[in-house]
Amino acid sequence: MRAFLNLLRLSWLQLARHRVRSLLTVLGVASGMFLFTSVETLQRSLARATETSAADTLLVVYRENRFCPSTSRLPENYADEIRRLPGVREVIPVQVVVNNCGASLDVITFRGVPADQFTRFAPEIRFIEGSEEEWQRRDDGALLGEVFARRRGLSTGDRFDAAGVTVTVSGVLSSPNAQDNNVAYVQLPFLQQASRAGLGVVTQFNVRVESSGDVATVSAAIDEHFRSAQEPTDTRPEKAFFAETAAELVELIGFTRWLGVGAVAAVAALVANALLLVVRGRVKENAVLRTLGYPGRAIACLVVGEGGLLGLAGGAAGVGIAAGFLRWQSFTMGNEGQTLAVQPDLAVIATGIAAGLALGILASLWPAFQAIRQPIVHSLRH
Amino acid sequence: MNAPMIRCRQLTKSYRKGKTVVTPLEALDLDVPAGEFLALMGPSGSGKTTLLNLLSGIDSPTAGSLEIAGEDIARLSRRELTAWRARHVGYIFQLYHLVPVLTAFENVELPLLLSKLSKKERHARVATALDLVGLGDRVHHVPAELSGGQEQRVAIARAIVANPSLLVADEPTGDLDRDSAARILDLLRGLARDHGKTIVMVTHDARAAAAADRTLHLEKGQLLGDACGHS
Ligand SMILES: Nc1ncnc2c1ncn2[C@@H]1O[C@H](COP(=O)(O)OP(=O)(O)OP(=O)(O)O)[C@@H](O)[C@H]1O
Ligand SMILES: [Mg+2]
Repeated sequence: MRAFLNLLRLSWLQLARHRVRSLLTVLGVASGMFLFTSVETLQRSLARATETSAADTLLVVYRENRFCPSTSRLPENYADEIRRLPGVREVIPVQVVVNNCGASLDVITFRGVPADQFTRFAPEIRFIEGSEEEWQRRDDGALLGEVFARRRGLSTGDRFDAAGVTVTVSGVLSSPNAQDNNVAYVQLPFLQQASRAGLGVVTQFNVRVESSGDVATVSAAIDEHFRSAQEPTDTRPEKAFFAETAAELVELIGFTRWLGVGAVAAVAALVANALLLVVRGRVKENAVLRTLGYPGRAIACLVVGEGGLLGLAGGAAGVGIAAGFLRWQSFTMGNEGQTLAVQPDLAVIATGIAAGLALGILASLWPAFQAIRQPIVHSLRH
Repeated sequence: MNAPMIRCRQLTKSYRKGKTVVTPLEALDLDVPAGEFLALMGPSGSGKTTLLNLLSGIDSPTAGSLEIAGEDIARLSRRELTAWRARHVGYIFQLYHLVPVLTAFENVELPLLLSKLSKKERHARVATALDLVGLGDRVHHVPAELSGGQEQRVAIARAIVANPSLLVADEPTGDLDRDSAARILDLLRGLARDHGKTIVMVTHDARAAAAADRTLHLEKGQLLGDACGHS
């Protein structure tokens, strides 16, 4: 162990004292890992937003054949009928207004909900700033999801307008449900008037079922109930809706995976090339170390140590820059009123750093083998 | 009389170069008593470096026996030979071959990095070795900031830091001016006389050879005269 640490320190000294060369390599690795992390973040954010899990109990009821929130117009009083269906625990009418219905990187979504029902429907939300009472006190109050607030740099007391609606921030909330963090919650009648949808008309109902096993039966029951009504409905888990409406987005993001693969290959090639040059330049030096009694595997260890350190440093830098950039930008993709916040999580960060290290080590195996292939006397005569 | 430190019998080394075989050393007999400072002279290509490489265990003989301190190192595996080198031999090169990114101190520390010594013990040994070669206050300079003579003294410190009984030196003064060369030779003589090191030094310089206890001449892979001390 002590010997290993000493070797690692030696690798470090080699890198530290060839500063420019090492920095250039780290920069290259960091660029690749930046791309890799961005792609990975996109993939994971999308997976989180679209892949329904067994724990999901949230359904969304839309107008059948809707396109965009604006064409989904349902009578607010459907809520009372839905609530009476078996398996339904809670229901809340929601009016949705977006600034941009197509695919966009900067979607602003308002959700109008009855002020007295909001926390009852979503007890899992946490207030980071402000409170429910402050929100209820003013008609134009808005509770912002944390990602939305960060992206726009908004906090309590600020006023802003979007999509023709002007509101005052009365709090910031955080929720385990991704969609909540990307939107602004306002009071239902306020939004109905501001958007000219008219009182009594909503876009959708969010329904919480008793248990995740009820999802399918309750969806079917709701649609069946309104089948011959004036406004028939289409009910599905929220994430399934998103997966469908954002199918093109999903396909596009799926394609970016290849960019990630490309970035990884570029990083490996870069490190391998750098180390091959290093090894070639150190033929004699390594032969001298072996003359001093360093076994071949110790020399290999030195080379792999350099590769690992380069990969680790480049990985950490690339991942750090990507995470900072994505958090600062807080991109929110959206499509037809459903939003996808591109946010790095801890798993992405850990994966990125580990990938950098692993790539550095893998890429240095061949150069390490090259370093010890020749007999000592041959290398000394080099 | 004690067993010699080095005992070669019928020592042969040949290399295959494509279809031809070169034999730089052929059936060589040599005894070197412990604590002797031996000079090896001979024309270029006579096999001097080849012999040092065998004595120091960085190459293995094609035939014959090679006993060092009573151990037949021709029989050791590559891995065993590596461990043996670390304990028993110090190699001094003509061109010093210090690691350029490391300071004098760090260069001398190199042979100890894979040992079980603690950092404190390691540093104590490095300091002792550097003291012995008289490097003074230059220990935290990198090789590029040292003179040739200083570099060679660092290289000698590196060769003795693990306390080996055998030192081999391949033209250690070949690249130095006369004063620096004289200091290096004094140092080597002191190591043999006061510290009991057995030293085999290759040189082209008769003045350098004169510093040694005995001089042998190698020609075409053979030692001239009796190299086993029988008289
Ligand atoms: N690894 C090797 N492969 C092939 N031939 C070798 C090898 N090492 C040495 N030789 C050959 O063996 C012969 C002796 O070489 P060696 O280096 O021992 O000579 P030397 O006496 O040290 O010469 P110099 O005084 O020039 O250093 C030379 O002809 C050389 O070409
Ligand atoms: Mg030679």
